[in-house]
Amino acid sequence: MTGRARARSRGRGRGQEPAAPGAQPSISQEAAKPVMPTPPEGQLVGRGRQKPAPGAMSEEAMMQISAGFQQVKIGERGGRRRDFHDSGVHTRQLMEHVKESKTGVSGTAIELRANFMRLLSRPMWALYQYHVDFKPPMESRRLRSALLFQHEETLGKAHTFDGAILFLPNKLHNTETVLCSETRNGEKVEITVTLTNELPPSSPVCLQFYNILFRRILRILNMQQIGRHYYNPDDPFNIPQHRLTIWPGFVTTILQYESSIMLCTDVSHKVLRSETVLDFMYSLRQQCGDQRFPEACTKELVGLIILTKYNNKTYRIDDIAWDHTPNNTFKKGDTEISFKNYFKTQYGLDITDGNQVLLVSHVKRLGPSGRPPPGPAMLVPEFCYLTGLTDKMRADFNIMKDLASHTRLSPEQREGRINRLISNINRNGDVQNELTTWGLSFENRLLSLNGRVLPSERIIQGGRAYEYNPWTADWAKEMRGLPLISCMSLDNWLMFYTRRNADVAQSLLQTLNKVSGPMGIRMQRAIMIEYEDRQESLLRALQQNVARETQMVVVILPTNRKDKYDCVKKYLCVDCPTPSQCVVSRTISKPQALMTVATKIALQMNCKMGGELWSVEIPLRQLMIVGIDCYHDTSAGKRSIGALVASLNQGMSRWFSKCVLQNRGQEIIDALKGSLQAALKAYLKYNNSLPSRIIVYRDGVGDGMLQSVVDYEVPQIMQSIKTMGQDYEPKLTVVVVKKRISSRFFARIDGKIANPPPGTVIDNEVTRPEWYDFFIVSQAVRFGCVAPTHYNVVYDSSGLKPDHMQRLTYKLCHMYYNWQGIVRVPAPCQYAHKLAFLVGQSIHKEPNMNLDDFLYYL
Amino acid sequence: MTTPFSPPLYMQRYQFVIDYVKTYRPKKVIDFGCAECCLLKKLKFHRNGIQLLVGVDINSVVLLKRMHTLAPLISDYLQPSDGPLTIELYQGSVTEREPCTRGFDLVTCVELIEHLELVEVASFSEVVFGYMSPGAVIVSTPNSEFNPLLPGLRGFRNYDHKFEWTRAEFQTWAHNVCRDYGYSVHFTGVGEAVGHWREVGFCTQIAVFQRNFHDSMSNAERLEPSVYRLMYKVVYPSLSDNNIYQRTLVNEVLYEAQHLRQEWLSRMDSSNNAHFCAPPLMHLFQHGAEGGTRDWQPVYQQGGTICVPLACVWSSPRVRALCGSVQRLRQELLEDERVRMSADGTVLNLPAAEEEEEEKEVEEEEDVKAVSVVANSVEEDWDRELGCCGNI
Repeated sequence: MTGRARARSRGRGRGQEPAAPGAQPSISQEAAKPVMPTPPEGQLVGRGRQKPAPGAMSEEAMMQISAGFQQVKIGERGGRRRDFHDSGVHTRQLMEHVKESKTGVSGTAIELRANFMRLLSRPMWALYQYHVDFKPPMESRRLRSALLFQHEETLGKAHTFDGAILFLPNKLHNTETVLCSETRNGEKVEITVTLTNELPPSSPVCLQFYNILFRRILRILNMQQIGRHYYNPDDPFNIPQHRLTIWPGFVTTILQYESSIMLCTDVSHKVLRSETVLDFMYSLRQQCGDQRFPEACTKELVGLIILTKYNNKTYRIDDIAWDHTPNNTFKKGDTEISFKNYFKTQYGLDITDGNQVLLVSHVKRLGPSGRPPPGPAMLVPEFCYLTGLTDKMRADFNIMKDLASHTRLSPEQREGRINRLISNINRNGDVQNELTTWGLSFENRLLSLNGRVLPSERIIQGGRAYEYNPWTADWAKEMRGLPLISCMSLDNWLMFYTRRNADVAQSLLQTLNKVSGPMGIRMQRAIMIEYEDRQESLLRALQQNVARETQMVVVILPTNRKDKYDCVKKYLCVDCPTPSQCVVSRTISKPQALMTVATKIALQMNCKMGGELWSVEIPLRQLMIVGIDCYHDTSAGKRSIGALVASLNQGMSRWFSKCVLQNRGQEIIDALKGSLQAALKAYLKYNNSLPSRIIVYRDGVGDGMLQSVVDYEVPQIMQSIKTMGQDYEPKLTVVVVKKRISSRFFARIDGKIANPPPGTVIDNEVTRPEWYDFFIVSQAVRFGCVAPTHYNVVYDSSGLKPDHMQRLTYKLCHMYYNWQGIVRVPAPCQYAHKLAFLVGQSIHKEPNMNLDDFLYYL
Repeated sequence: MTTPFSPPLYMQRYQFVIDYVKTYRPKKVIDFGCAECCLLKKLKFHRNGIQLLVGVDINSVVLLKRMHTLAPLISDYLQPSDGPLTIELYQGSVTEREPCTRGFDLVTCVELIEHLELVEVASFSEVVFGYMSPGAVIVSTPNSEFNPLLPGLRGFRNYDHKFEWTRAEFQTWAHNVCRDYGYSVHFTGVGEAVGHWREVGFCTQIAVFQRNFHDSMSNAERLEPSVYRLMYKVVYPSLSDNNIYQRTLVNEVLYEAQHLRQEWLSRMDSSNNAHFCAPPLMHLFQHGAEGGTRDWQPVYQQGGTICVPLACVWSSPRVRALCGSVQRLRQELLEDERVRMSADGTVLNLPAAEEEEEEKEVEEEEDVKAVSVVANSVEEDWDRELGCCGNI
């Protein structure tokens, strides 16, 4: 497997640090949050998923509109509620040069449609907030609402009331209205309703209100809420072989966008499994035997998210309580009750296997009304359904193909699904009722807007420049036969192979020799070393043969088992810093594909040793581009890993890379501060001067974490630059890069709905007024829908025009050397991602600093 | 008001109904005064064969607030139940005659009648026992004789109570109902005092009425509500829905078949001999439904297909639980387009080879569409551009 293939088959970062084990049996029905990682469509093969954002709004709170408003208060009081949309982060107003306009000008205009719908309200619409007072005071909230709504003819049909605050879509006649109600036993109650606030349609409370209202609409349409999204249970798709059930659904948000309030809705799919943890345990025991079962079981299960049978809650398995069975008891109220009896009396559920061990989940969510978490939850495997895909399933090409056939939608299908939702909303009487009582409606078509297609870049390679097909955004063909910018000659290199693969090793060697000539790589014959197909003997072979002057180590692996790959990378990245290239024998076993594969391997080897492949014109001098990404490690104590990659030359063809392991409780940027200083020193060494401009592309920022980037990371970056000298004041730009977004764009090409072409920039309508942000569709996809990347410039003292910012960003997407084409994010982000992934998945240690100047992790 | 009972009294009342349902297994149950739908939610878990669960309350706001808690859980979709279940919620009053409430097996009125005026109680009796005439009725109400034992209580237990009856009053009413509408009754309750206080009776007194005559209504067709207002209706996924049944069965069969195929393939792989068919682990199996023993039919390969005999799939307990007989299984599978069967319906055909991941080099010479102009070869210099702007 080549490095890239490995990155494709990677698992996901299952976030969340574990609390200390030590199970204190207690069932916590109220606790536990929906933390299911949602596999977004088309990303089922995931590249580095962000950890599921903790602290999702409780489902209960979403049950009812009035309940939703309690959340407003909770959010204000304790700050417990996480703002997933990063609203309230106002960065644009601080940047003088984009206050007026943040749009670019380059390129040709293109008409697009986006998955957005305008929210329409009647003119002068507002939400009126009233304070409600009862005399004499009424204890019960239920009674208070019953008494208040005896006056429905005065207050109107649409209202939401949480016991003290009343919201109405219409203004009452007077600012203070006094109403008289009577309880059933004749007690007279005076109710005073006083206007306290008039909320304009774009106020935060209104936006929250729209979202709650829309969730309600989805529920009326019989959608099931899982996590933060809604899915349709009536139209499932099954993969029986693995008992998978896939529900189609939607991700929705209503926000204030550039010029109007809109609903953004994208198709999403939820993978569910009709297999319980107990079923899974049985088959695992059968496979690996009683001896190895506990170990295998822990390995397979810990970290998985399960769904309980008796409610819709999800838990993460943190541990297995080997000494607990359903016959154990826990304290419920003041009495001890066994799990078996509890489930029987509470839910009428019978436990068939009394010997199953229990699962432990450390519930971190606070108890009701801010009390401390209720302690670990003990779960019965028989009542827990597995969710999501295992790594084994992800590695199974056939499952992924089946999944993709249903979840990967063409632009036409995707637009169709969204349009169907729109028409369902418009057709359903109950939904319309709900909306009209509030005086709201949705525009019944998708938003039309204009984008621009940036000119394609000229690829410069060895003194020659060429153009690529703008639709495929790929120049593998064009670069054939052209010499590279700079080549490292291979004089002293090794190739390791097993006996079984002796033949393929020979043919790889020959083909490498054949393809390297035209590129300009001089290649001596490799020293061929045979190793026994065991991890220890491979390691021994490496230890005995890799010397100080070894330039490159090629290892042909018999299978794509991870352990041997890890072993090679660990040794050659940490203990004995040497560039290395692993190849799975299957990849090179097909003679017809060997030329292509060998070409890619030769390019990759050249990069790893410090060679340069191609370049694009960068019209800014003394510029350093920095990319930052992080990876959340599953093993190694769940440490996060941050990677920083910085450019060293004008052509963006040489990079300095650093990877750090974050300590518990430490912000990733604290660890990366030193790396940035090291990068600046390296720049100084290469250029004899420090950069006068620094542009940082920060990837891996989760939903709702923007504020901390602005408030904490940006000052840290500035501080770290300051350490290079008091009078050193380069211009700084910080851009937050986001790949996982739900905005989608559709173009109409030759009368058909299609993906926008690579280089499409969108910087109006669907951007946010409070940000300096834009979207670029940089990559081309052969199947499915292209996902745009969102760029949010949170700090900018460069004075660069928005047009420059957009074009520079697009240029950088051309510079990822492991792909002869345009990628989704600027190359430094992709490099940082690759590095953090390698360290997080395989090395688990900081790589040797001798490798810092090379792209050894490709 | 805190009650000194453990578990709390309301839980004991619900448990009483659950126990009744477990013993008498009514199919159609209606709960009057369901309010927050707590009892309905409990009954949904303790179904014991309930097929129709109806809640009625006069207050539509509470119903609207809580109705979604009665929606099916995700697991109800993942593993549909055998029997059907429909839940309906209505806004309406127990003193109104609503045709669609007739023909029920059980009516529960938990702590309801004391909220009615005494005149309304008469029409309640007439509507419930005379008009609806269900198979059984459970009525619970506070026992006022118990009130002195409740700490700090003055007057009624709830501000909305119109009356609280002694045991004698309750029983008089109940006996009159029995006489008028042909029911028999027995009395019980929940929440007992200790020691010599026992003689005041249960804290909550309960009357269980049984209808004395046979009723022809129970099989009558359901009517649309004419007086009540339907607030919520949900049909639970169940195997009695043909589509769901078919889907569940086919999924189970394909799961089984794929596993048998996988097992066979790995056995072939290890023996490394495609012509030699290793005897399966189970040599013979008893075939209960068809009586008598049959030879084990192994999985075999025919060209590019792996053939899994239907009998092998039939041996899975899960498949058997879903399908009464192998004939029915065959019938169901022949109708489904997801399953490939031999013409006689005895063998399932599955592809032998997995499709390999092909990294095809697509050598397509596409027409280059002009979407954008290539950047001018004129050298740009943004620094200078910016410098100019700055100077102006």
